[in-house]
Amino acid sequence: MAASQIHIKPKRFILFELLNRLGNNEALIGYLFILPSLIGFAIFFAYPAVRAVYISFLDWNLLTDAKYVGLENYQTLFDDKRFWDSLQVTVLYVLWNIPLQTVLAIFMAVMLERFSTITSSIMRGIMILPWLMPNVVVALLWLWILDPSIGLMNEFLKAMGIGRQPFMGSPDQAIQSIAGINIWRHVGYTSILVFAGLKTIPKSLYEAAAMDGADDLMQFRKITLPLLRPVLVFVLVTSVIGSFQVFDTVAVTTGGGPAGSTRVIIYYIYQQVFERRIKMGMATAASVVLFSILITVTIVQMRLLRSGESDLADYQ
Amino acid sequence: MTITQQAMGIQSPKQTRVRGGQILSYLVLLALFFITLFPFWWVLRTALTSPASVFSHTSSLTPVNPTTQNFERVLGLVDTEDLVGDGVVTSYMSTATLDFWVFLRNSFIVAGTITLGQTFFSSMAAYAFARIKFPLRDTVFFIYLTGLMIPSIVLFIPNFVFIRELDWIGTYQGIIAPTFLMTPFAVFFMRQFFLGLNKDLEEAAIIDGATRIGLFWRIALPLVKGPLLTLAILTFIGSWNEYLWPLLVGRDEHVRVLTVALGIFREQTPQGAPDWAGLMAGTAVSIVPAIVIFIFFGRKVVDSIQFSGFK
Amino acid sequence: MKSLRAVIFIALILAMTVPLTGLAQAQDDVTIRYMLWDNNQLPAYTECANQFMESNPGITVEIEQLGWGDYWTAVQTGFVTGDAPDVFTNHLAKYPEFVALEQLVDVQPLVERDSVPTDIYYPGLAELWVKDGARYGLPKDWDTVAVIYNADMLEAAGIDPAVMDEWTWNPEDGGTFEQVVAQLTLDANGNNGLSPDFDKDNVVQYGFTNDWATAAGYGQTSFSVFTASTGWTYNNGLWGNEYYYDDPRFTQSIQWIADLWLEKGYAAPFADVSGLGSFALFQSGKAALTTDGSWMIGSYLGSEFPVGFGRLPIGPEGRKSMFNGLADSIWVGSKHQEEAWQWVKYLGSAECQNIVGQAGVVFPAIPEATDLSLNVRADAGVDVSAFTLQAAEEGGTFLFPITDYGGEITVIMQEAMDRIALGEVDAETALTEANEEVNALFE
Repeated sequence: MAASQIHIKPKRFILFELLNRLGNNEALIGYLFILPSLIGFAIFFAYPAVRAVYISFLDWNLLTDAKYVGLENYQTLFDDKRFWDSLQVTVLYVLWNIPLQTVLAIFMAVMLERFSTITSSIMRGIMILPWLMPNVVVALLWLWILDPSIGLMNEFLKAMGIGRQPFMGSPDQAIQSIAGINIWRHVGYTSILVFAGLKTIPKSLYEAAAMDGADDLMQFRKITLPLLRPVLVFVLVTSVIGSFQVFDTVAVTTGGGPAGSTRVIIYYIYQQVFERRIKMGMATAASVVLFSILITVTIVQMRLLRSGESDLADYQ
Repeated sequence: MTITQQAMGIQSPKQTRVRGGQILSYLVLLALFFITLFPFWWVLRTALTSPASVFSHTSSLTPVNPTTQNFERVLGLVDTEDLVGDGVVTSYMSTATLDFWVFLRNSFIVAGTITLGQTFFSSMAAYAFARIKFPLRDTVFFIYLTGLMIPSIVLFIPNFVFIRELDWIGTYQGIIAPTFLMTPFAVFFMRQFFLGLNKDLEEAAIIDGATRIGLFWRIALPLVKGPLLTLAILTFIGSWNEYLWPLLVGRDEHVRVLTVALGIFREQTPQGAPDWAGLMAGTAVSIVPAIVIFIFFGRKVVDSIQFSGFK
Repeated sequence: MKSLRAVIFIALILAMTVPLTGLAQAQDDVTIRYMLWDNNQLPAYTECANQFMESNPGITVEIEQLGWGDYWTAVQTGFVTGDAPDVFTNHLAKYPEFVALEQLVDVQPLVERDSVPTDIYYPGLAELWVKDGARYGLPKDWDTVAVIYNADMLEAAGIDPAVMDEWTWNPEDGGTFEQVVAQLTLDANGNNGLSPDFDKDNVVQYGFTNDWATAAGYGQTSFSVFTASTGWTYNNGLWGNEYYYDDPRFTQSIQWIADLWLEKGYAAPFADVSGLGSFALFQSGKAALTTDGSWMIGSYLGSEFPVGFGRLPIGPEGRKSMFNGLADSIWVGSKHQEEAWQWVKYLGSAECQNIVGQAGVVFPAIPEATDLSLNVRADAGVDVSAFTLQAAEEGGTFLFPITDYGGEITVIMQEAMDRIALGEVDAETALTEANEEVNALFE
C-alpha cells in the first residue's frame, strides 16, 4: 500500500511528461499516422487474406459445415490439368500484355516530349480516354469490333488486303486479342506515368550527349532508359501484378474459351466458386498459389531492376 | 572548330536517316492516336443507330437510320411502358432505363468519398513510412505491399459477410468502406513522392519548433500536391469504374452507381443479344462525367507530376 | 493550397457522416423480395405484384431484376451471405445444385395444405421440380425450340417455307434438311451449296448457323434438336447418374453438325459464332436458317428483314425439341416463408399467368394463358405455331436432363464441344474422353 502511495508522484510525472512529449515522440506519432490505414488494411485486406489461407485447408461451401482436409485441396489442385493450363495461359497473357504495353508507353511518352507543352497535354488527355471507360464496357466494345464475321476490324483488314482473322474465336489468337484489348485501355495511362518520369531527367544531360554527337537513339539508350528505371520499377511492379489478375475482359468476351484457351487463373478460381458449387477450399488454395507466385515475381523484379538505386548519381 | 565541322560533315548522311526514322515515329504515333480514338467514335455511332439496324450494315462508319431515341431511353425521357405497349416487336431492345441522375449522384457520392478518404489517410501513412522512424516501419510497409498481390476475388466474400454483419448492405458506407481508409497502391504511390522530398525544409521547420503534424500538413503535403491530385484523380476514376463490389453490395436502387446500372442494363434479354444501341448510349453518357473531370483537372495533373525518384 | 486543404478537411468530416439514406424504412407489414432476370417480363410481373398486393394488404412485393449473368452471381452470393431474395425465378440447369446445397424450400406440404392444383399446367412441367417427393417450385412458363428463317433468303432461293412441314434429317447424309441448307448457302460467285462449282472457302451467305459457342453439355438450342431425334437420351433419366455422351448416335450427330462448317461450308464456322453469337450473325443477314428457343421470338422479330418460324426437321425417331420450364422457388433463408408461399402460389395461378400471357413475351405454364399469348402474337400478324405445335405433339418433346453437377458438366463439355467445332479432334475421341470425366463426377 505504502509503496503505491510513494509511486503516485512519479506516475503523475510520467503521465505529464508523456503528454508533453507527445508532439515529439516519433514512434507514437508514426503509429498515429498509419493508424487509420492500418485499421482499413487489417479489416479489409489482412483478415480476409489470413482467413483465405485457413479456408484453403477446408472442404467448405460456405453453407454447410466445414471439414478440415489438410493439404487435400492443394493435392487436387496440383493434379488438375486445368489448373496448370490456367497458369500457363496466365503467363502467356502477361508475356503478351506487359512487354508490348511498356514499350508502346515508353515510345509514346518519349514522343510527347517533342511537342509544345499545350499540344502534349492535349495529347495526354486523349491518351488517357480509354482508361476512363469501365473495364466491362471496354471488353464489350472490343468484342463487337473484333467479331470475326460482323466486326469492323476484319472489314478494315480486308481493305488493307489482309485476310480475315478469327481473333477471340480461335485458341491461337484469343489470349493475344484479350492482351491487345487491355493494352488499348492501359497504354495511355502507363505512358503518362512514364512521361512524368521523363521530366525528372535533367535536360543538360541530353545537351551534353548531343555535343558528343550521340543521336536520338543513342541518347535514348544511354540516358533515358537508365534514368527512367525508378519509374519503370513502379510501373512494371504494379502492372505485372494487375496483369496476373486479369479477369473482367475474359469473363465478358470469351468466358475462358474457346477450348479453355483463355481460362486465366482468376477465371479458374471464379469457376470453382460460381460454376462448381462453391468450392471455397479449392478457390482459396488456388489463390494462395497465385499469391505466392506474385510475391516471388515481384521480389525478383525488384532485385533485377535494383529498385532502390538511381543512376542519376553516375552522371553528376 | 574544325573537329566539330568534321563531325558535322560525317553526320550528314546519318541525319537524313534519323529524319526518316523521325517521320516513321510520327506516323506510328499518329496511328496509335487513331487506334485510341476510333472506338470512341464507334460507341457514338452505335449509340445513334436505330436499334433495329444495329446488326445490319455493321461496317457502316456512320450511324444507320440515325436516332436520338437510345439516349432518350437511357436518360429516362421516354416512358418504357409505352414501348412495351407498342407490341411484341419491341422486346428486342431493353426496356430498362437508367434512372440517370440518381445513379450519377450516387456515383459522385461514392467515388468522391472514397477519393477523399483514401488519398488523405493513405498520404498520412505514406508520409509516416517515408519520413518518421518507428519500430517495424519497413515490415509493416512490406506487409501493406503484399496486399497488392492478394487476388481481389478472395477478399470479396469475407468483406461482403463483414459488411452484412454491420447491416450496411444497400448503403453508401457499405460500398465505400473497404477502400475508404487505404489501398496498398495509394500508400505505395505516395510514399515514393515523400521519399523524394528535400529534407532540408523539414529540418529547418523542426528547428523553428514545428510538430510532426504541422510538418505533414503545412510543408510535406503542399509539396506533393501534384502527385496528390494525381492520386485523387486515379482513385476517383478507379472507384467510378468499379463494378463487382458495388454490384454485390449496392444493388439497391437508392445507392446504385452508374456502372452497376449499366451492367444491369447490359444483358437484358435472357441469353445473349444485349441491346447494343442502348448500351452504347449508356456508355457514352456514363463516361462524360469522367471526361469532364479529367478536362477540368487533368492538365494540371499530368503537368504537375514530378517523380522525385523511386526508392 | 490553403483553401484546397480547408475544402478537403471539411469534406472529410462530411464524408464520415454520410447519412444512411440507402436503408429501407422499417415497415410494419412484410416485404417479400422477388427476383427475375428477364427485363422484358418486368412490366407483366409488376402488374401481377400490384394485383397481389391489393388482395393481400399486409404484404409488399419488391421486384428486383438483373441480367442473366449477374443474376446468378447475386443469387449465389446471397445464399452465402444471407442476402438472397425470398422468392426467385429458378432454372432447371441451376436448381439441382441449389437442392444439393439445401437452399430451396420444399413446398410440397404447403401444396397439400392449401390443396393447390398442380395438374393445371402443361403435362410434365410441375414434375420437373420434384425430387424424392419434395417440390421446389411452381411452374411459371415453358419454352421449345424451332427453326427461324430469313424469309427474303428463302424467297431468293425459290424455297417455299412449307418445305419445313415435311423435311427430314439423319446423321448420315443430313436428309432433305441438308439439301435445303446447301441450297441456301451462297459463295462469292453466286453458286449455291449444291453446285459443283461451289467454293466452300468463300461463302457469303451461310445456309445454317446455331449457337454452338454455348452448346456445352445440353445444346438446348443447338445440337439437342438433332441428337434427340435419333432416339438418343442424355442420361439414365431424371436425377440420373450416368451420361451417354459416348453413344455412337450422339457422336455421329455431333460430327455431322461440325462437318457443316468444317467440311462442307454450309454453316458459319465456330469462330464466327463465338463472339457476338449466332443471333447477331443471323440478324446481320449472313445466315438463312437457325434454331432457337421460343423466348427469343421477340428478339428475332426485331430483324430488319421478314422472319418466319418453321418446324424442326423430322429425324430418325421423329421431331424432338427440349421442353424446358422455369419456376418460382422460395429461398430457405427467407424470414417470411408463409408470405413468400402466398406470392409463389399467386405467381403459379391462372390469375397472374393470364397477365403474363397477355404481355405476349413468353408462354405461361397454364395452357389457357398460353392461348392468350398466342392471340397477342396472332393480332400482331406473327405465326409462332412452330413452337406450340411442337409442345402439343405426342412425343414431340423431351425434358431438360436434370442431374447433379450441372456446373461441372458444362465446364467439361464446353471444352470438348469447342475442340470438335474447331476441328482439333473428332467427335468420337473427344466425347468418349469427356463422357468418362463426366461420369467420374458421380462416383
